Amino acid sequence: MIGDYINVINPIVAFSINVAVQLLCIRFVMKGLLRSLFSGFAVGFVSLLLLQVSVTFLGIAFFSNIMVNIIIYSSLGYCYFHFVNLGETARRIRILRELYDSKGGLTLDEILERYNAKRMVDLRLQRLLNNGQVVLKDGILFNGKPVLLLISKTILLMKVIILGQKSEFDK
Amino acid sequence: MTILFWGLALFASAFVIHFVLWKIRLPNRQIKAILQIFFTVLVVGILLLWSVPDTSIFCGIAPPTSFAEQIHISLFFISLTLAYMITYTALEADSPSLVIMTAINDAGPDGLDKKCFDKLMNDDILVKPRIRDLLLNKKVKMDGDRYVLTPKGVLFAQIFITYRKIMNVSHKGG
Repeated sequence: MIGDYINVINPIVAFSINVAVQLLCIRFVMKGLLRSLFSGFAVGFVSLLLLQVSVTFLGIAFFSNIMVNIIIYSSLGYCYFHFVNLGETARRIRILRELYDSKGGLTLDEILERYNAKRMVDLRLQRLLNNGQVVLKDGILFNGKPVLLLISKTILLMKVIILGQKSEFDK
Repeated sequence: MTILFWGLALFASAFVIHFVLWKIRLPNRQIKAILQIFFTVLVVGILLLWSVPDTSIFCGIAPPTSFAEQIHISLFFISLTLAYMITYTALEADSPSLVIMTAINDAGPDGLDKKCFDKLMNDDILVKPRIRDLLLNKKVKMDGDRYVLTPKGVLFAQIFITYRKIMNVSHKGG
């Protein structure tokens, strides 16, 4: 009976360790959000495995639930990754932050002065060029490493299957 | 196995309902609709599993017998739902990085001229639709010609601003 409840708590404890380690890493140990997120996830994952194994040896939980708890932990870790990422790159959040920092709101022109497509694309293109996903040669852009292109194609496929359209402007 | 089976069965049921409804008509506030569908399925499913006799067997799997198992199924379902919801935000709106990668890929082996690329990526497709989303989701309202935050918008902004402070992140991002 108690083992059942411990099984429920294990992925939550591991996820809390993930968040705590990520915050400690980004504040005190390393630069770079992505590295801190991966470090937090890895430490949390090892903690989950140790928790599962230890409660199994104590005889108060069943090893068979490890698959369920790995899925729960990975899903929560995935959500946390995107939560942090949203705060950094999501356009809606960036516009909300600009409006929050302004006194009495902003007109459309004022929003676009602070945050516009040119700035956003320059920033993102630079990131893509830096990590080799895109290559710029004599003023021409080419696809580089295939990882992000593969992710883009997967998202496009999901869009077509679920929404029936390739782009939000296809309506 | 009980938790994995029933958790996946409930999630699959919710996904099928969402998929069918989306084929009939796309809701205006899609994320809100997804949450309503998935959490309704969870509540109804847990109540149904609670009410069936412990001796019933479905596909060789018995229903959950303890309260702890019901909570475990709920946690499993909620974590999958949140992961799906956050993935769905990338489907609902065109991500700039995705638009960039697709535009370059669509240009073929000759590549995409940077000048053409700069013309393609404009405020009309990358920024203005997101401002409209904020109005639609009632996080922002109009005050004359000015966009101002609603209490819901203030709460959202504060969550992210506070978390960025905790992480000690100072650059603007975006």
